[in-house]
Amino acid sequence: MPPPDDLVARAQAGDQTAFRDLYRQHVGRVYALCLRLTGNAGDAEDRTQDVFVRLWDKLSSFRGESAFSSWLHRLAVNVVLNEARTTKRRELRVMPTADPDSGVGAGGGAQHAAPPRDVAGLSIDLERAIAELPDGAREVFVLFDIEGYGHAEIAQLVGIAEGTSKAQLFRARQLLREKLDA
Amino acid sequence: MNEEELQRAVGRLPKSIEPPRDLWPGIETRLRKRRWSSWYWVPLAAAAVFALVLIGRSLETHPAFDVTSLAGRPLLGTTPLTASGRLRVGDWLLTDDSSRALVAVGRIGEVEVKPGTRLQLVAARADDHRFALARGAIQATVDAVPRIFYVDTPAGTAIDLGCAYTLETDSLGTGRLHVTRGEVEFATANRGSRVPLGAIVQTRPAIGPGIPYVEDAPAPLVRALTAFDFEKGGARAARNVLALARAQDALSLWHLLQRVDPTLRATVYDRLAALVPPPPGVTRARAIALESRALEGYWTKIHRIHFRRMVLQGVREIDPRTGTTKR
Repeated sequence: MPPPDDLVARAQAGDQTAFRDLYRQHVGRVYALCLRLTGNAGDAEDRTQDVFVRLWDKLSSFRGESAFSSWLHRLAVNVVLNEARTTKRRELRVMPTADPDSGVGAGGGAQHAAPPRDVAGLSIDLERAIAELPDGAREVFVLFDIEGYGHAEIAQLVGIAEGTSKAQLFRARQLLREKLDA
Repeated sequence: MNEEELQRAVGRLPKSIEPPRDLWPGIETRLRKRRWSSWYWVPLAAAAVFALVLIGRSLETHPAFDVTSLAGRPLLGTTPLTASGRLRVGDWLLTDDSSRALVAVGRIGEVEVKPGTRLQLVAARADDHRFALARGAIQATVDAVPRIFYVDTPAGTAIDLGCAYTLETDSLGTGRLHVTRGEVEFATANRGSRVPLGAIVQTRPAIGPGIPYVEDAPAPLVRALTAFDFEKGGARAARNVLALARAQDALSLWHLLQRVDPTLRATVYDRLAALVPPPPGVTRARAIALESRALEGYWTKIHRIHFRRMVLQGVREIDPRTGTTKR
């Protein structure tokens, strides 16, 4: 397989075979991110496809100022979080009389988060526990503790206050410890 | 679990997880639709040719894995493998007493083929990576969703649930599976054994898998299990197992419960419950009736305790009855 830079350049020139090779190289990382952010294997597959379709559109704007993998990673985070926000808005419009304590925007919605199918061996219990976290707490936990984003950046990406990000992280860690100790 | 342990566990999470199916065809379809809508002037005939090419490509399979010689001269079919080659579906890979090889299993893992082994690639599809181990030993390391990596042996099939393991067998099916990470199911048409990390199961021709046991199981317990599984030891062997079992052997008793004569089930259950109390919702009557929800609930608890004991081995002492840290 050609070096990644070459693949990116060829894909930017419209070479779909090169784009497919880029997909093969990066799909595992993108799917892992989508799976953890959504907490649902079916949604993760949909979002992964969305990311690569969006990537095809946006490839020409990649100027090589950062590593391609980092750039793609950021794109994937945006795609997943935008979809989550759109879905929440849609649900609010469709169900205006829904129980205000259902947790929308406050990290509720765990009812949507079916555990992912078993993934890699040792981490299986932790992966399940992460998938079962409330949406808001899970997003912040995944971005901060797994993906290494800072609170300021998360606040910007998720559309919450920095303090909320810290509170969600604290809550997520506490819930995870409780789940894993249970 | 404290903060530090949580962070350590998070640090071990895989950065990459392969999706359970190939998502590329869906992406390709969406890209094609977009292209079609903006290039509406492309003549129909050209589009048809393009579609045919794409269909041809999508049908094109890559039923082969890379294989590398690690030592000696393995044979790929009848051809000596000098450095590396391609193992195609249907091909046999043979190692003699002094040769070893490494097979890259698509993008999901690898299989080290030990000396004295005869291994065939049976399927190489995104949802079915399958080998046949006719004899010898392999060490498999797989990072993928469960049930897409299989190894058939003369005694049954090892089904990967996301893990690493060593599997050995003779040409008749007498063998052993030792799981070092994750979990493997070893199954025949009639029976299956769940083997988590740090556990071993023996296999025999025409019988399949025995009852799994933990790596540090006492030798007398292993002998009693062997007698029960493969030597028609019956009730006497089962009672020996019960007498020798410790709390950390609960996974063996969980399997035994399902394999003893129905008249002995209550005795097995009582011993299991005394060693590891059942979780809420699992009643004696339901477990003895082998209701699947009760068995699954019990297994989840046993597995969780076993998992904690294995993962925290050497770090913290875990109570094998409850899975909590011993004070």
